[in-house]
Amino acid sequence: MLSYHQKRFLIVDDFSDFRSSIRSMLRELGVKDVDTADSGEQALRMCSQKAYDFILQDFHLGDGKKNGQQVLEDLMEEKLISHEAVFVMVTAETSQAMVLSALEHEPDAYLTKPFNRSSLAQRLERLVQRKTLLKPILQALDRGKPMEVFNACIALCKQDIRYSPLCLRYRADALRDLNQTEALERLYDSIIADRPLPWAYVGLGKLLFKRGQVSQAKGLYEKALKTFPMMPALYDGMADVLVAEGDTKGAQQVLEEAIRLSPLAVRRQAMLGKLAMTNEDFDTASRAYRQAVSQGAQSRFKDAESNLGLAHALISKGSERGLDTRTRLEINTTLSAVAKDNPTDPGLQIRARLMKATSLLLNDAETADKLTEQALLRLDGMEQFMSAEAALLVAKQLQILGQAEAGTSMLKNCVEIYGDDPAVMKDIAKLTDDPAILNSGNAAADLNREGVRVYKTGNLQEARKIFRKALAMQPKNISIALNMAQSLLHGTDTSVASAELDECRMSLKMVGLMPETDARFPRYQKLKSKAFGA
Amino acid sequence: MNEQQQALDFSTVIASTVHDMKNSLAMLMQAQSQWLARLPDTARQTPEQGVIDFEFAHLNGMLVQLLGLYKLGVNQMPLQPAYHELDDFIEAQLACHHEVLASRGIMASYEVDPLSPLGFFDRELIASVLANCINNAIRHARHAILITVSDAAGQLVLTINDDGDGYPAQMIEHQADYVQGINQSSGSTGLGLYFAGRIAALHQRNGVVGRTEINNGGPLGGGVFSLYLP
Repeated sequence: MLSYHQKRFLIVDDFSDFRSSIRSMLRELGVKDVDTADSGEQALRMCSQKAYDFILQDFHLGDGKKNGQQVLEDLMEEKLISHEAVFVMVTAETSQAMVLSALEHEPDAYLTKPFNRSSLAQRLERLVQRKTLLKPILQALDRGKPMEVFNACIALCKQDIRYSPLCLRYRADALRDLNQTEALERLYDSIIADRPLPWAYVGLGKLLFKRGQVSQAKGLYEKALKTFPMMPALYDGMADVLVAEGDTKGAQQVLEEAIRLSPLAVRRQAMLGKLAMTNEDFDTASRAYRQAVSQGAQSRFKDAESNLGLAHALISKGSERGLDTRTRLEINTTLSAVAKDNPTDPGLQIRARLMKATSLLLNDAETADKLTEQALLRLDGMEQFMSAEAALLVAKQLQILGQAEAGTSMLKNCVEIYGDDPAVMKDIAKLTDDPAILNSGNAAADLNREGVRVYKTGNLQEARKIFRKALAMQPKNISIALNMAQSLLHGTDTSVASAELDECRMSLKMVGLMPETDARFPRYQKLKSKAFGA
Repeated sequence: MNEQQQALDFSTVIASTVHDMKNSLAMLMQAQSQWLARLPDTARQTPEQGVIDFEFAHLNGMLVQLLGLYKLGVNQMPLQPAYHELDDFIEAQLACHHEVLASRGIMASYEVDPLSPLGFFDRELIASVLANCINNAIRHARHAILITVSDAAGQLVLTINDDGDGYPAQMIEHQADYVQGINQSSGSTGLGLYFAGRIAALHQRNGVVGRTEINNGGPLGGGVFSLYLP
């Protein structure tokens, strides 16, 4: 039997009877160092102060509290436990909703109550053996070095080929982190050809989708769902595919299916809310956003967008006579939380006020006016860019609230920042017929396309000239500024000062105000680290 | 409401009742083991205690099986296959029955082919099959239970052997009927066979479907239950 007397144990359970029962089992196994916690929050605090070797975590810690899976996600994301530590999820029953939600961060083992001392001892001993076998991989994971993880996998498989299946997931994740897409695709293909594993389907689907191979991804998800009809992550992928194909109704149905299987998923509920809004299914939207808000309260996926979405869905659902008292109360609660939780985010402060003003327009015009005024004041001093979606809703609400001028300036701003995106332009056209606004970005967008064409021919000087001209017309346009910066960095030595480097930094500084959720944000960060040094 | 809907509602009522029963039983087992831990050794090792442990495990196994059957019926049984270390898997199942085996004086052992230490299956589902088999084997065994794992033409074969009287000839002859759920006078063993067969069949690879088989004989001379997983 293994020696546990120097190992640190943490038991997390809301029942004191159960804590003491496990504690006495552990004592009999020779464990000396046992701490206990009665909530996930307490467990996280304790893990930030002490490195535990073993955590026995109860899954259900009471309604409105973090559940065991959320605790595990927080521990992993915040790097509060080593990959070498043993994490056992203790469950009252093997509930599928629980198991299915755990695709990304799986516990090392599940242990179903009730269990005896022999079962606990056997489980712990085996997990220690496996972790010892995988030690080089786990240590590389702790260091956050995917290349070392990959090499450790290869070394382990060479040492004992029989255990190579245990390394598959680590190998795939390492290749993903290293951006080795060809090798990763080959690995996924070989896994699926041999023994289909759900995570391999999910991984390959994501890879194909990211590469723009939408129809291949769709075919893969269809095949995978036949084998694993209970795997919510596959439905998520399918929904992404359908959205890309423009079938938002189909995507909504697929997500509703996934939520029936696994309702405990904050991001999935938020995504469903968004899709249902697109489809003008306000009942489903408000229900999904309500779930996203309440589940998100204890989760690291808490997102003010869900609160705003809930309010928007409830307003959209309302009749022409305005909203009933209960609905107004719910809107008030959900928006107050946004304002309170994000005191330093001007965009959210503005959006929460305008949303509330819109909800009060019919029932309390005076307060609506006051809120609109506050929002306008903040809007004036705001430098950061809102996302196109948020900006357009703000513009629309300003129009509804009788602030036509502010609405127009919001739209103009939006054309400047996002005007090269035809999808955004289509949405702007829904809010205005003014050709001066609708065409204000055309010339710059044409130049931008021209610049890209010239850049590809290798004529750097000419490309820069064209981008420069375009950027002078639309200084806040994200695409143009990024292209400008990239063309300036091309062939420029960033270790010595130069006019090119200065100009590049200037263009990046302006678009640094873009929202982090923008798809181009990673590209911006890459360029920024090149131009300013990491 | 039509008749079919009523029938569905009734099975849901049963399933949630079984669910409650299982949770109650878990609390009972927990409380009993805590209570037991406070007793002196002499008061702990009584024949009655052996009966209690065995029947607790049996009850638990039946309830898990009932819930499983319900989920199979409404097509809610998710298959979550993964690679598992076989010696670990079998040890874990035997550990659950540790007290019962000790109190009945039954030697439980296992043999895993060292060339294929990993198996590919749904741990939860196969564990429920194995738990029922072990429980059944304990009921019939005199002194020994042996679990073996081998490889037959690329299929994983799990067998549970005991040294009891073996299965009735009639049951072996008509085992296909039990697996298909045709035989009405099935009792708990028959239902177990049905459940095991359904779970085995969920495991498929390249057109080969998992299956079960019962026989008499084997290394211990009693009942032999075999589970084939492709």
